[in-house]
Amino acid sequence: MWRTAESPRITVADFFEAGRVSLRLDWEANPEAAVGREITEVSLNRPGLALAGFVRYFAHRRIQVLGLAEMTYLGSLPVPERIARLQTLAHVPAVVMSRGRRLPSYVRQALLPLRVPVIRTHLVTGHFMNAATVLMQNMTNPRIRVAGTMVEINGVGVLLEGEPGIGKSEIALALIKRGHSLVADDTTILTRDSTGAIHGSAVPITREHMEIRGLGIIHVPGLFGVASMREGMRLDLIIRMQKSPAGDDAIDRTGLDTQFRDVLGVDIPLITVPVAAGRDLTNVVEVAALNQRMKQMGHDAARELDEKLKVALARKD
Amino acid sequence: MSPETAQKNAGGSTLTRDVSVLNRYGIHARPAALLVKTATPFACEILIEKNGVKVNAKSIMGLLTLEGNHGAKLKIHATGADAADALAALADLFERKFFED
Repeated sequence: MWRTAESPRITVADFFEAGRVSLRLDWEANPEAAVGREITEVSLNRPGLALAGFVRYFAHRRIQVLGLAEMTYLGSLPVPERIARLQTLAHVPAVVMSRGRRLPSYVRQALLPLRVPVIRTHLVTGHFMNAATVLMQNMTNPRIRVAGTMVEINGVGVLLEGEPGIGKSEIALALIKRGHSLVADDTTILTRDSTGAIHGSAVPITREHMEIRGLGIIHVPGLFGVASMREGMRLDLIIRMQKSPAGDDAIDRTGLDTQFRDVLGVDIPLITVPVAAGRDLTNVVEVAALNQRMKQMGHDAARELDEKLKVALARKD
Repeated sequence: MSPETAQKNAGGSTLTRDVSVLNRYGIHARPAALLVKTATPFACEILIEKNGVKVNAKSIMGLLTLEGNHGAKLKIHATGADAADALAALADLFERKFFED
């Protein structure tokens, strides 16, 4: 079982870096306060009610978005009152101004001494709220780092696992040569998204490289082209490669007894294949992926044959 | 480490040892290869940990993903009959700065 997940903590600085391009962010004030400032509630809030004076249920752990409604409301108040109301935002992780608006001088005067980071987005409020929520959820998805090589075979995400030296990378290499693609060699990061799907990706620093015994480290897209790599892929199947004596209990000879591995609380189909000299596992892995795709489409070969057999046997009864 | 692997090694106890990365360039490709070469002959399972992330000491790519920079504090975990010898051999490489500098 792979359950012991870490859910990464994110700071305002992490959020800014991750969203700088996609959310079109700029610093407006106090960028230095963002470093190490944790976002303890991964969501956004429009602080309209709090600014109007109702603070009992103020979601102060969230990033606060000042849209047109908030700014117009503040603008309608006398200046000393505006500054007093903005003190409500003293302990929030960050404030975001939408539509690329600059801080009016009274807001700047109120927020600068509070040392609250202020970010400007060039998106309109609604788009920013949607995109920023998805981004923060992706950043904090539960994740686990596992030993295994992940490949994509005709749209099926397969994780190969087994002891070092058993031949995971060699099989991945053979699959790449057949036109499939590499997701991660040797070490794979698995995350669970909000829909419950598991995704695999590589550790960024070694993403494009593989180690092949006898050759050393190779650069995969350099040798095989950019189509040989995928940045991330849904995990559909785990194939466990095992050096085992014949007749091992873990080996399913019919395909009727599907095994599963609990990955971050999601059951992923698991196949154990024996490794033996002269056995071409590349074909086995490729066919396992296709067979998994058939199953996902509703066709289970082992079960269909078994049903047919049972009918035939009943007739002879 | 998966619980399955832990069970498989239930016969031997896990020994650990703290080490520091002393060579100037940290665990780059050459030290990683040296670690793998030293670790592989041992039968025990050997993991190297940095900030809670554990990787297999018998895998070059795994070691490279650790990003063991100069000064990093690591912990070696070894599980199996020859764990003590494995820890001594690997710690020695760290102390000798992987024969660099």
